[in-house]
Amino acid sequence: MAASQETRETETTRGTGDEEEHRNVVQRWASGSMNNPNRTYRALFYIVAISFLVTTLFPFYWLLMLALTPSAKLTDVGLLPNGFNPEAFLTVFTKVPFHVYMFNSIVIGLFTTALVLVIASLAGYAFGRFEFPGRTPLMLIFLAISYFPPAAFLLPLFRLFTANVTFFSLPGGTTVTSPMLFNGPGAMALPYTALFLPLSIFILTTFYSQIPDGLEDAARVEGNSRLGALFKIIMPLSAPGVATAGVLTFIAVYNEYFFAFLMTDGRAQNWSTIVWGLLSYQGRFETSYNLMAAASLLGVIPIAILVVVAQEKIVSGLTAGGLKE
Amino acid sequence: MSTDTGSGRSLSLGSPMRWIEDLSDAQFAYLLLAPGLIVFGVVAFWPLFRTFTMSLHADVLYGPERLGAFVGLQNYVELLTGQRNAALPRPFLDLSEPLTSAVTVTIIFTVVSVFFETLLGFGQALVLDQDFTGRRWARVAIILPWAVPIVIQGMIFYLLFQPTVGFLVEPLHQLGLISATPQASSFDSLLIVIVADVWKTSAFMALIILAGLQSIDRSLYDVADVSGASKFERFRTITLPLVLPSVLVAMLFRTIGAMRVYGLIDTVSSCSTVPSLSCLVVQSFSASRYASAATVAFVTAGLIAIVVSVYIIKFADVDGGGGF
Repeated sequence: MAASQETRETETTRGTGDEEEHRNVVQRWASGSMNNPNRTYRALFYIVAISFLVTTLFPFYWLLMLALTPSAKLTDVGLLPNGFNPEAFLTVFTKVPFHVYMFNSIVIGLFTTALVLVIASLAGYAFGRFEFPGRTPLMLIFLAISYFPPAAFLLPLFRLFTANVTFFSLPGGTTVTSPMLFNGPGAMALPYTALFLPLSIFILTTFYSQIPDGLEDAARVEGNSRLGALFKIIMPLSAPGVATAGVLTFIAVYNEYFFAFLMTDGRAQNWSTIVWGLLSYQGRFETSYNLMAAASLLGVIPIAILVVVAQEKIVSGLTAGGLKE
Repeated sequence: MSTDTGSGRSLSLGSPMRWIEDLSDAQFAYLLLAPGLIVFGVVAFWPLFRTFTMSLHADVLYGPERLGAFVGLQNYVELLTGQRNAALPRPFLDLSEPLTSAVTVTIIFTVVSVFFETLLGFGQALVLDQDFTGRRWARVAIILPWAVPIVIQGMIFYLLFQPTVGFLVEPLHQLGLISATPQASSFDSLLIVIVADVWKTSAFMALIILAGLQSIDRSLYDVADVSGASKFERFRTITLPLVLPSVLVAMLFRTIGAMRVYGLIDTVSSCSTVPSLSCLVVQSFSASRYASAATVAFVTAGLIAIVVSVYIIKFADVDGGGGF
């Protein structure tokens, strides 16, 4: 098939060889592509592919150019920096403790991910391997949570986390109120856990349901307890699923804006995340555009590494979550 | 069920492991679900319920509770009939100024951005479905914007459209597309926010559509080739109908996401320039109008529920259409 096509191609070129000299490059290409439509498709494909890559990557390139431009020359930064001064990558840490904000983001991300994985493993195991009354309604209710806008949880949670909700009053006038979690990691990690649990539960349910029943029985016969079988046999087998759920949860938490913005007062020592870190360049230092660019690039690094390392997991997790029908 | 576990617990305080072994399968499943149910109860179900009850009270701007007398559905009636508009930081729904009222801004943003995300996502998926050298890296490049934190996404487009440092404002202004200070204009800011959203989330569409493309039986294409179908005919008669369910699922997820937009607007412009529904909740909350904020939040959830059900009906149509 390919060989016959090649011969056809050579024949055509031989046949039109005399006229070839009188034509320019574009005409030659045009006649070639009319004779062979696959070549046109291939060329078109590369044009489209390259334009997609340029549009997705250009903003990062431009941020780098902006970050490298000295503070005094920050006007109309185009394809090249106006001058060269990488100092912005150091100044970001002295003007604002950006490393602390990044540390907070990463710690809250890891903490939430751990919490989500433990809870989702247990729930996914229950949904994936047992039939029990109320299984389908419970699963639907869990999934429905992820449809609600974060704004619908905000007001009561804000009051709960600022110690404004009274649980009960003891005789003698003392009241027991909710703990003060505002300005702490819990005020973000708890809502994140609820928001991002459904996807992880779904991914893990799919994984657990694919493990053959016999393995579990064998583990039980060998004298493992129920939980022992779960943690020693079933969990290791579904490690790819756990990793997928973990990567997606971490990215989602690192991404999150709404609660990160509203559940702290913005100071680095109060567990504020990169959301506040970056916004503080926007507010206090009116002209530090190069610092904003440098800090943005630094903030992307952890997530970029994760995407490069775990791209297969991300793709499989998102498509499993997306194609639940 | 509840009495069973209750008595089981009191009997086996000494050996919880023994107690777990004695549970029936259903009881063990409920036990495994308990941590999830507790978390959902405290940080999801209770807040939702509380938001709803808050929305049934009057606004009180002072005092520790900031909630007045029980008023039933009055907040909803006033909000939906437009009587509440003047009391809110931005109108909820005012068709005479579509660019500064929350419902219209949210709908314009959602429809326009999801439309372009679907087109570009489909394009990206078709590219990633091909075999070519460097496919792995192309995929990384296309996924990367999706993983970028919202605040950094906002920062990028804030800087790109900053009149002094950005290089885009001047040429676009001279073409008459945007004003000289786009971040202060509602129309221009909405446009920038849409462009930023399309840049970030087309990749999400692309990945879900790609999964749909890769599940298509390749032998169908051989049949098409034998019967002499052109590439376009192949796409129209095989690819499009078979991938449509995936496209709808991707659109559903993106629509839900777009209707909650908040952080992007807050970074690129401001909530008073481009007031989305989530913006209106936060702004009413900051203005101590707790009941109004709760009402807007619940109406937003209701709007999302309506959209979700429309998609599900549409999906059932496409999926149940037999050969289609």
